[in-house]
Order: sequence, then C-alpha cells, then structure tokens
Amino acid sequence: MSIQIIINGLAVGSVYALIATGFSLIFNILKFSNFSHGALMTLSAFIGYFFAVKTGSSLIPVIIVSMLAGGLVAYIGEFVAFRKITLRSTSPVYYFVSSITLGTLYEGIVTIWVGPNFYNYPRFFQSMVVNIGGFVISKPDLIMFISSCLALALLVIFIQKTRLGRALRSVSFDRDTAGLMGINVFGIIQLAFFISGALAGLSGVFLGINYTLYPQLGNLVVKGFIASVIGGLGSIFGAVVGAILLGLTETLLINFVGSGYAPVFSFLIMLAFLLIRPQGIAGSNVQEKA
Amino acid sequence: MQFYISILTFTLISVIAVTGIYVLTGLTGMFSLGQAAFMAIGAYVSGFLVVKAGVPFVLAAIIAVVISVIVGYIVGLPTVRLRRDYISLVTLGFGEAITALLNQTQSITGGALGFSGIPKITTLPLALISAIVCIVLVSYLKNSKYGRQCIAARSDELAAKAMGINVPRIKMTAFLIAVAVTSYAGVLYAFFTTYVDPGIFGWKKSAEWVIMVFFGGVSSLTGSIFGTIILTALPEVLRFAADYRTVFYAVLVLLIINFKPTGLFGEYELSVGNLLRRLSGKKEERSNA
Repeated sequence: MSIQIIINGLAVGSVYALIATGFSLIFNILKFSNFSHGALMTLSAFIGYFFAVKTGSSLIPVIIVSMLAGGLVAYIGEFVAFRKITLRSTSPVYYFVSSITLGTLYEGIVTIWVGPNFYNYPRFFQSMVVNIGGFVISKPDLIMFISSCLALALLVIFIQKTRLGRALRSVSFDRDTAGLMGINVFGIIQLAFFISGALAGLSGVFLGINYTLYPQLGNLVVKGFIASVIGGLGSIFGAVVGAILLGLTETLLINFVGSGYAPVFSFLIMLAFLLIRPQGIAGSNVQEKA
Repeated sequence: MQFYISILTFTLISVIAVTGIYVLTGLTGMFSLGQAAFMAIGAYVSGFLVVKAGVPFVLAAIIAVVISVIVGYIVGLPTVRLRRDYISLVTLGFGEAITALLNQTQSITGGALGFSGIPKITTLPLALISAIVCIVLVSYLKNSKYGRQCIAARSDELAAKAMGINVPRIKMTAFLIAVAVTSYAGVLYAFFTTYVDPGIFGWKKSAEWVIMVFFGGVSSLTGSIFGTIILTALPEVLRFAADYRTVFYAVLVLLIINFKPTGLFGEYELSVGNLLRRLSGKKEERSNA
C-alpha cells in the first residue's frame, strides 16, 4: 500500500517537474513568469488527443505530436507576444501581461474548438497495472515516471554538455554580452521557447491521461509554479526537487484527507516554504535586481 | 430598461474592483492573480453572515472586508520582501486554494452548486456612490506622499530603498488596500446577483481585471476605469458569445502591447483641468504655427 502511494507520488511529482522545468527555462532566459504555460499544455494535449482519435495510434506518436505542436505554438507565441518587448527591453511588467493574455487566447481557442466538455484519451494499454516483485503498480504511473525522467535527463545533458546548451546558459546569464560573443540571441530564445513548449506538450498528455481532458486542464500548471517556488525560481535542479517533494507530500496528504483539498495543501506548503526559506531549495535570487 | 440597469451595475462593480487593482498594479507594479478569490471571500462571508446569522448588511460588509484584509495580510507577509514574480505566483496558488475550499465545504457554502438566497440589497445608486467614493479616494491616494512613494518603488525598487522608502511596507499597504476594495466589490456583487458559486472567482477573473487595467493604460486611473467600462459593458450590450469574447479581448490586448505598450491613455489623466490645458495648449501651438 505505502509503496504504491510513493510510486504514485513520484509519478505525479515527475509530471510537476516537467511543468516546472518548462516554466524555469523561460524564467531563466527572459526573467519573467510565463503564465501562458498552462494553457499551452491544454492546447497541445488536445492536439494530441484529436491526433490519437483520428489515427488510432499508440501512445508514443501521440506524445511526439503533442510535443511538436506545443513547441511550434510556443515558438509562434514568442514571436507574437514577447519579441517586441524583448527588443524594446522596457519594463518586465509587459511580459507578465503579454503572457497572461497569450494564455487567455490559447484557452479561448481551445474552448471555442472543443466546447466545455470533458474528453478521455483512448485506452493506450491493455492492462492498467504491472506486477513487479509482488508490488502492483499502475502502468500509466510507471510510464509517466520513466518518460519524465528520460525527458529531464536529456534536457540536462543538452544544457550542460552541448554547444547550443552552453549558448542557452550564456544568454540566460547576460543577453547583451552573449550577443557580442556572436551568439544568435533570438535564435536561442526561440529554441528555449520551443523546448519549453515541447515539455508543456509532454506534461499536457500525461495530465490528460491521469485526469480527464478539459479546457481548464491548464489550471494544474499552478502545481508547476508552486514547485518552482519551493525549488527556487529559475533553478531547474531546484524545480525538479521541489516538484518531487510536492508530488509526494500531496499524494500522502490526499490519502488521508481526500483529493479535493490538494490545492489548499500545495498552497500552504508554498507559504510555509516562503516564510522559512524564501530563496527555495536551490537558493536563487529572490530580490528585485537593480 | 432592467437589462441596461443590470449591465450598468455590473460595470460599476467591476470599476470598483479595478480601482483596487490600479493601486496594486498601476501604482506599485505588482500583479495579483488571486484578486478574484478576495472577491469571493467578501461575497461568501457577507452572504453567509446575512443569510445564516441574521447580521445587518452594513455590519456584514464591514466584517467581510476586515476578514479579507486579515487573510490578505497572511498571504502578503512572505511575499512583499521578494521579487514581484512571487506575489503573482503565490496569489495564483491562493486563488486555486480558495476555489477548492469553497467546493469542498459543501455543508457551509453549498459547494459547486453555489450559495443562494442572498437578499437583493445592492442597487444602482449604491453601486454608483461606492464607485465614485473609491475613485475619489484612489485618486487622492495617487497624488499623496504615499502614492508618490508607490510610483517610486514601481519605477526602481533599489533607488526607492536608497531614498529611505520602506518598500516592503509600501507594497503591503497597496496589497491590503487592493484586497479591501476588491472584497467590498465582492459584497456588492453577492447582494446584487443574490447567488454566488466558486466557478466565477477563478484566476481567469483576476487576469481579466489586469487586462482591463492595461487596456486603458496602467499609469492612468481614468484610463484604467475607461478600459473597464469599455471591456465590461460593450460585449454585454453587443451580446457576443462568452467564448469569443475572451479571444477578442486577448487579441485586442496583444495588439495594444505590441503597438502602444502604455495602454490607450498612457500617463494621461482625464480631468477638467487637463482637458482645458490640452485644449489651450493646442490653440497655442496653432497660433505659434
């Protein structure tokens, strides 16, 4: 019983980690909180859903289609909503409004497209559970956990080991200097948006499988935000640890009190963290920069 | 006629809420995505007190606002010292938490079905007077010493600190003023519709208010109010489908941010004095040319 709860918590936490990482990527590079991330998750999850229904394909192609769709939409979104603000480099408040507006736009499009109904992904698996060494583990949970870990590992290798990843880090650190060093700054920003969108697509599909698919599914992005606050804004490592921690605590608490109170718990956990250790687990900068 | 009066009252209630948002966002540069949750607290607490406990309306309204402010203090306490991103993220989590709480406590709040049977007390004159009082107070606030400190903190927090302004306290006060005003709007709302449910107080509502403030001009109180009136009343009168309305909003605001980022009004305040000055200024320019 308790092993099952832990596995479930890890699976949920790993999806939160995907959300939080996608959010942190953008936070790092443009220093703002991307509130369109949730609606992007919904949009790409629905694209994946209709692809699955139309073609009757298995899970892997659906995930790939969703990730590509999320990446492309984020790529276009950057161009439409954030490019001019970055060029003008005025107040960061415009990023905020732009991202909220973009989120509202995505959600509005989804609502017009599918209506306010609930949708269920087709059943991708024959049996819903696997039996490993005497423990009965839910199959979606296991797949969620493994593929999230895989995606995160690939991302970390990409950021730490490749040339493009180094460019990404340098643009996050200082945009102007990176530009002077011959890095194509806007290319890198677009890349970051594409990766973030692809992560949104992946997490969207998993959330859709785990719960149901509906236009407000993106509200679950709050968990990702909370995870990155716990971990320290902008730190990918912190976001992952925070997300796993949040997923585990939430699953444990839900087991005692019921799932409806989950948002209340995650909020209280975040508030407690901000009171005790505002810089988060990884200890990022929390004060306004000059 | 009844239809137009109801639209007008709703618009005025939105205007009241937006004056609160203006203090927070326009003056201090913070964004709250849980503002609608404070509206919900105002609505539910006052409604509950009047319906279940038989408390008179005025007293219930005062208690509701006070409770909101206390809750706001707890939410604001850890966040005002940190980067501004935190207040948006924390209030977003707070809004979701309140919605979940309202949905779960079915025996008290009616859960997802909503809380009904609230007497209809809010009338057009009451909403109008409240709106005018709020606008006048906020415009005084903008021109006071406190308002200038807020604007200084918004423009450059570090510089403001160096000038001896207690920035966390300024931010907290602005947040609490916004909370008080919004929860009062919630009281008016509950006693106008006679029915509230948790669904209408999500973060979308808060985001909509921020969009309204930006549409009119974030640095201008009259601009924000103008934006609210246009964006609340116009779609109601034209009877757009609600879904298309949000898309329409979003496209409009994206256009404004891309092409006129200070909003329709910019820094300009609409007032008799400014209007006269502008008119006479134009005349002078013409005579010079």
